Amino acid sequence: MLTIKILGPGCANCKRLEEIARKAASDMNVAAEFVKVTDYNDILAYGVISTPGLVINEKLVSSGRIPTTATMTNWLADALKAS
Amino acid sequence: MEVVSFFANIVQGGLGNLAAYLAAHVILCLLPAFYIAGAMTALIPKETVTRFLGRNTRQIVSYPAASLAGGLLAVCSCTIVPLFAGIYKKGAGIGPAITFLFFAPAANILALVYTGSVIGVDLAFARFFLSLAFGVGIGLIMALLFRSEDAARDMATNQMFAAQSIKGMSRAALVFLLVWVALLLFGTLKLDILTGSYRNVNLPVAGAQEFQALLDRLVPVDASKGEEGVSVQGAILILLLAAIGLTSWRGFERIHDGFGTWTRAAIALTVLTLLVAALNLQATAAGLRVGFSGKFFGVLLALAALFQIGRAYLTEDELRDWLWESWRFVKQIFPLLLLGVFLVGVIRVLIRPQWIEALAGSNSVLGNLTGVAFGVFMYFPTLVEVPIAKMFLSLGMHRGPLLAYLMADPELSLQSILILCAIIGKLKTWTYVGWVALFSTMAGFIYGAWVDGMNLGFVVLSFALFLTVLALALWLASQRNQPEQAGQAKSS
Repeated sequence: MLTIKILGPGCANCKRLEEIARKAASDMNVAAEFVKVTDYNDILAYGVISTPGLVINEKLVSSGRIPTTATMTNWLADALKAS
Repeated sequence: MEVVSFFANIVQGGLGNLAAYLAAHVILCLLPAFYIAGAMTALIPKETVTRFLGRNTRQIVSYPAASLAGGLLAVCSCTIVPLFAGIYKKGAGIGPAITFLFFAPAANILALVYTGSVIGVDLAFARFFLSLAFGVGIGLIMALLFRSEDAARDMATNQMFAAQSIKGMSRAALVFLLVWVALLLFGTLKLDILTGSYRNVNLPVAGAQEFQALLDRLVPVDASKGEEGVSVQGAILILLLAAIGLTSWRGFERIHDGFGTWTRAAIALTVLTLLVAALNLQATAAGLRVGFSGKFFGVLLALAALFQIGRAYLTEDELRDWLWESWRFVKQIFPLLLLGVFLVGVIRVLIRPQWIEALAGSNSVLGNLTGVAFGVFMYFPTLVEVPIAKMFLSLGMHRGPLLAYLMADPELSLQSILILCAIIGKLKTWTYVGWVALFSTMAGFIYGAWVDGMNLGFVVLSFALFLTVLALALWLASQRNQPEQAGQAKSS
């Protein structure tokens, strides 16, 4: 079970990031809980200045850009291995 | 019948304005500008700039860095607000954060290029320099006014700025960006060496002249009213633009699943459109005369260089991020811009030039205040302020109040004021609003005086005097504050 957090105020990039993460998770048949973090204080707590940020199991994975579906799949696999 | 023809007139005004804009201003100016904005967002690591904004950085570095950050990093409010909140909350101090907030919407690359192309290079430069001076000025004032509060905030947060990794921009990305800027300059500069044709080729296209006559009937040319008309070349370009829009929708929207045929088609069409736009096309009795201008060769050269850099030196991730960010800007800004331009065309039919003439026809304090008030209370999406300004200009507004309006409109809107309130509180927000209004009026007045033929030396002198008085006042205030600060530091 992964917890995936999308950091961002809800702009187009955040939505796209979430879309890609959801697709990757469902392609891999991974159970994941998605959390949207929209409050600036909470976002900054992860040390993110440029949104969208991606946090998997409380670990900041990327910020300021959107990964490809393939990269996202790798990240999810890494997180699964680590947990 | 009256009513029908009245509405037909209005709609024709709107559509005509739209067509003229698409044909004349979009291709060689906005198309590269969108790609440049995308490249800036995707390829410049934000940390390279924001790490200069920490509290320990000296003011002489942090304020220019803040405006640089505004000009380079932020194009839409979607980027500005998180960055502003980040800069402010992480201890940069309110000064540089405000400078950033002021400068970003007024003088980012899209706004400047578009202003230069539609209204005039002089106004674009005025917008840039006055935004720079006033952004730093207002930042300093805000920092001073709210000094004690600012110092009371947690100093520890400053570590975040110091701890940011120093990740430089790759050299290839920098060159890529610069070549795009070169392409933009080749395409938009009005120099004889660029606009003149070196070789003409006549294409026997039957009916080219009839087509031009038809276009002139549909979209009348009237220079006195600022109506530009559409040429045969313009019509071709509008079709190509539509094709780019369509292929981009298929090719860039799903770019995170990989580059596809549609992606390549969109890129190829963009290249083709830029090249066609750089030609001199003229409908003649014999057909179509194609003139290969200096502009054409410049654009061709730049495109070839971009292709080479993109293929050999940029990673696939960089290219994807760049295309995605550019497309996102287009998707976000362009539809609103089209709607705005259409509505401006409609409104122009309705407004009497006398009204504008009476309110802001001359460079008076009242005229400048009117410009600012209009800017504050009306909210227009990014860039739409430019065609609106163009409309006012053609209806007889003086360039001074026009600049005042252009300075105030992007900075202040109900929306941005509300967001600001949420981040920095009501008192600071309204203080900021007051200063922006004051500075915008000043900017318009000074620029208007210069346009009216006031001696340049005198203008510079009065501007310098104004800044000196301001600096002196700030210095005096900070001197008075210093002992207080020291006292506070000891007691805490």
